Amino acid sequence: MTLLAGPGIERPAPAATFGAARPVILLRDVTKTYPGGRSALRDVDLTIREGEFVFIVGPSGAGKSTLLKLLIRDEVATEGQVFIDGTDLARLKRREIPKVRRRTGTIFQDFKLLPNRTVWENVAFALEVTGAPRKRIVPDVDRVLALVGLTAQAAQVPTQLSGGEQQRTAIARALVHDPRLIIADEPTGNLDPLISWEIIQLLLRINELGVTVLMATHDAEVVTALRRRVVALEEGRVVRDELGAAYHRED
Amino acid sequence: MIPFVVFSIRRAWQGFWRNGLMSIAATATMTFMLLLLGGFWIVQSGLSAGLQYVEQKVQVVAYLKDDATQDQVDAAMAGLKQMPEVKQADYVSKNDALTRFRANLAERGQPDLTGSLDTNPLPASIEVYLVDPTDFAAVVAHLDGSPGVDRVDDVQQLVDRVTTVTTVIRTGGIVALILVGLTVLFIIVNTIRLAVTSRAEEIEIMRLVGASDAFIRWPFIFEGALVGLLGALVTLLILAAAAGPLSTLMLGFFRVLPLEFGSLVRDVAILVLVTGVGLGVVGSYVSVRSYLIR
Repeated sequence: MTLLAGPGIERPAPAATFGAARPVILLRDVTKTYPGGRSALRDVDLTIREGEFVFIVGPSGAGKSTLLKLLIRDEVATEGQVFIDGTDLARLKRREIPKVRRRTGTIFQDFKLLPNRTVWENVAFALEVTGAPRKRIVPDVDRVLALVGLTAQAAQVPTQLSGGEQQRTAIARALVHDPRLIIADEPTGNLDPLISWEIIQLLLRINELGVTVLMATHDAEVVTALRRRVVALEEGRVVRDELGAAYHRED
Repeated sequence: MIPFVVFSIRRAWQGFWRNGLMSIAATATMTFMLLLLGGFWIVQSGLSAGLQYVEQKVQVVAYLKDDATQDQVDAAMAGLKQMPEVKQADYVSKNDALTRFRANLAERGQPDLTGSLDTNPLPASIEVYLVDPTDFAAVVAHLDGSPGVDRVDDVQQLVDRVTTVTTVIRTGGIVALILVGLTVLFIIVNTIRLAVTSRAEEIEIMRLVGASDAFIRWPFIFEGALVGLLGALVTLLILAAAAGPLSTLMLGFFRVLPLEFGSLVRDVAILVLVTGVGLGVVGSYVSVRSYLIR
């Protein structure tokens, strides 16, 4: 498979488009030190505006996962501030955390699906646990399953699905809250290249619908082919933040 | 509020059946532990009733002079009946005593030689049963001071022996019951914890998709209650099936049934239900809590 074999790749919108949009993610001087003294992030400043598609790249242990965990308030910054949609995550009350998480869809390398529930139930689960009424759940779940192309597989359980279908289920679940932001942690890490492109295509389409996408990845081929904004982390610091960039530094 | 409770109960029911193997294991452990606890409680009640029976056998006996008048006897009896320590006081006439003595001999198969006596050598007596066997002093004093009384049996030694034995057995029983109770507590809570731990991923996913703590916690609490309830019901069914042989056994072993068999059945039912459901709920709450606090 050649670099540009991925179907339907478009050139990214010029950087200026995002200049005026309001920040969905804003990190100010963020440092995260884990108990025991290991520092995972150091002085990270990052602004991601509405509608952007951003890759976070870097070697293992560079701080990508920590960054994503801060964004879903799974971890709290040791220093500095993290804002999602203008909300300071460190100041959130405990009971407000779930509400912020509902505004962000998360996708993982290992899908994190419930193995003994069907595709439909896995997606509906995300709405049920927020107390949504049944009459809202049914149309919403049907809608996102159609969006990711899994209507036919709705009654199957994850073990009956291919990896790509499982990840699409997870994407449907992430979308069902109508999030403004999708955070994807190595979403293609367990998938073969062709399926990976399918998933990327899906994320691009979601992005076109106006959802901001932040994706941590090791997939150099995808990153380089798409020429989107690339934020590179190394040893907890942002070492590169370029628009229309490749996976590796090109200068 | 109502939709939330309905949601939680439905989710608990699903959770129970979707994790069937774990649920069955937890329910089985719950049942074994409740059987242990219920069984021990029954044994303890039998023991307690047996001890009470033994203690009631302690009596103060006052032997009367052969020339004691009926008035003297009546006065002594009337005094006894007014004492709060006295449970029952019986007058045993000389003839009664002889009859009893003969019956006793016959029961042991020994030859009755009393027929060769010209007179009845046995004294009349007053037998007093006490509410509390250690409360004999006033009774003894009263009888000692009554005219017509020849002598009062020294019950001190007997009471001491009986109460020492019963106290040791009773304390041992309570200590054993507490130990069994603690064991049951830890094993049940641990089993529930194990069941919740096997669902750590589910809890994590719930958190990730933005479930509030209550939405995560309550289905597990109801599920714990369900495990407890099922375990308790199975336990009670087993105990009910064993009730017949059990009471025969108790009658044979402790010589006596607990004073009120009906109240024992009720106590055990309440004990098993409350312990099962209570520990199911507490175990779930504690186990889920450790996943929520982060």
